[in-house]
Amino acid sequence: MRQFLVIAMLVAVAPALVAQDPRLEARLDPATRAAVAALVDSARAAGLPTEPIIDKALEGTTKRASSDRIIAAIHTLSADLQAARTALGATAPDGDVIAGASAIRAGAQPEILEQIKGVRGKAGISVPLAVFADLVARGVPADTASNVILHLAEGGASDADYAGLERTVARDIGAGAPPGASAAIRARVSTGEVGAAAVGGPPPGVPATPKDPKGKPASRP
Amino acid sequence: MHDDDQHDELIARVADELRAPVALDPAFDARVMAEVRRAAPSRWQRALRWWTEPRPLRVSPLTGLACAAGVAALLVVGTVSLRPASPSPMKGAVATGVAVPAEPGSEMVQFVLVAPQASSVAVVGDFNDWDPRRTPLRAEAAGGVWSVNVSLRSGQHQYAFVVDGKEWRPDPAAPRAVTDDFGSPNSVIVVGGKST
Amino acid sequence: MTDRSDPALIRQVLDGNPDAYGALVARYRERYARFAVHMLGEREDAEEALQDAFLRAYRSLAQCADPARFDAWLFRILANRCRTAGARRARRSRTFVRDEVALGEASAEHPAERREWREEIHRALERLEADQREAFLLKHVEDLSYEEMSALTGAGISALKMRVKRACERLRVMLGEVQHA
Repeated sequence: MRQFLVIAMLVAVAPALVAQDPRLEARLDPATRAAVAALVDSARAAGLPTEPIIDKALEGTTKRASSDRIIAAIHTLSADLQAARTALGATAPDGDVIAGASAIRAGAQPEILEQIKGVRGKAGISVPLAVFADLVARGVPADTASNVILHLAEGGASDADYAGLERTVARDIGAGAPPGASAAIRARVSTGEVGAAAVGGPPPGVPATPKDPKGKPASRP
Repeated sequence: MHDDDQHDELIARVADELRAPVALDPAFDARVMAEVRRAAPSRWQRALRWWTEPRPLRVSPLTGLACAAGVAALLVVGTVSLRPASPSPMKGAVATGVAVPAEPGSEMVQFVLVAPQASSVAVVGDFNDWDPRRTPLRAEAAGGVWSVNVSLRSGQHQYAFVVDGKEWRPDPAAPRAVTDDFGSPNSVIVVGGKST
Repeated sequence: MTDRSDPALIRQVLDGNPDAYGALVARYRERYARFAVHMLGEREDAEEALQDAFLRAYRSLAQCADPARFDAWLFRILANRCRTAGARRARRSRTFVRDEVALGEASAEHPAERREWREEIHRALERLEADQREAFLLKHVEDLSYEEMSALTGAGISALKMRVKRACERLRVMLGEVQHA
């Protein structure tokens, strides 16, 4: 009982003590470390995953960023994590919240997270969000990319379908296609709205026949 | 905190001095991990686990097709994707044991950088705490081709190379992360086709 | 980003992914390097003991009873390595810990004084008995509780308290002289 009280006091009184991640201890100067630890604790208290915050601090350290810059980056990240948490709900797994925050940072509207989650259900949102991030990184405008991944979800795309789309878009862009156009067209091929022949052949692995929009194709467990 | 000892200022000063972190040889991690890989669990132990634990198919047929066609797959990073002259990544990846299944939900990824003038190359990213000491690349015999295989969990990862311990170099052949918090851009890789 | 807790990493290693052990090495090497260096008085010996400890821990990873307490388990292995290494070196003449060993809040002001003070501390530490030195470091530098120290070293709590007390007394004598000189 006494131990519990002591711990409770420590948690309440000394945020730095609770978040003694050895990685922060070893690589951050004391002032930055204290500020980061406090932000980690706030995030934890708000039900947000803390690993991305620690990761961001370590990234900043490796890049020799100033303390102010590291703290600013963490504030931005925390806000994105909070927005993702709000969109996905209190029981959403940390992995989804983290992927959601990355998507928001890359330009997705938080509402899109909710929509994809609604459509995908148990299939989860991490793969669609990862593909979103990749598309945006390749130059697809954020709103186009958002529509693409939602469109695929509504068409019952499996994880493999998402991977296939991403590969094809990457190849198209490499061959000189405008990123947004490629993504939009390939998305429609994927759901069968546009015949593969119209764009010179199906992407590898994507069936040429339209999928049943109601049921999801058999996917792996 | 120090209840029974006669805690005084001198002892406190001594302790403060001794608490300073110590510098380790930068190659420490690499030395330990070299030994660890040599001592990795035997094949039969791994095979036993493979049979006794149900696990989903690690490599999707799509990926397999892509490999066969020589098309850059999601798994591959580096000077590959769309330039036929570059070394084929899947050759290198298979040769270093990608055939052995990584942990479910992970894929083996080969990071490659061509840097003939470099004396050291490391990859840093969200999978190794951005620590340049953790994941050094090895240079092939000639030609300045550096590579390393890393097991990455499914999902998106950011990373970059650190050349000669000080130069930040994003992957020339991978997409850039759209946002950059610190003025040094990262590269992006997306791994796997399975949701976690 | 994933679950990178110690138990999760250990699970990955035992599932056949030795690279995951690298994360554990990186996580603990600095913290335990410090202890090894002050126990053994020389960086090379400390690195050897530390490397040895990590490898032993790797080889017996499946026997780690409580993966959530991997850090304490590893520390125990390291403390044993240091004791063995220290006993081996008892005959050899010791060298002082070199100045470049300590990083941390290295201040630009008074570097020469700082270095001297550090060397005095190390000299004094070396003159302690191994048991006392170990107990002092665990209590005052690594901030372990006596319970944790007892679990780590196998010694009883009152024995440990006595060692710490004696270590403090001797340090006070040796370093107090230095200060007043």
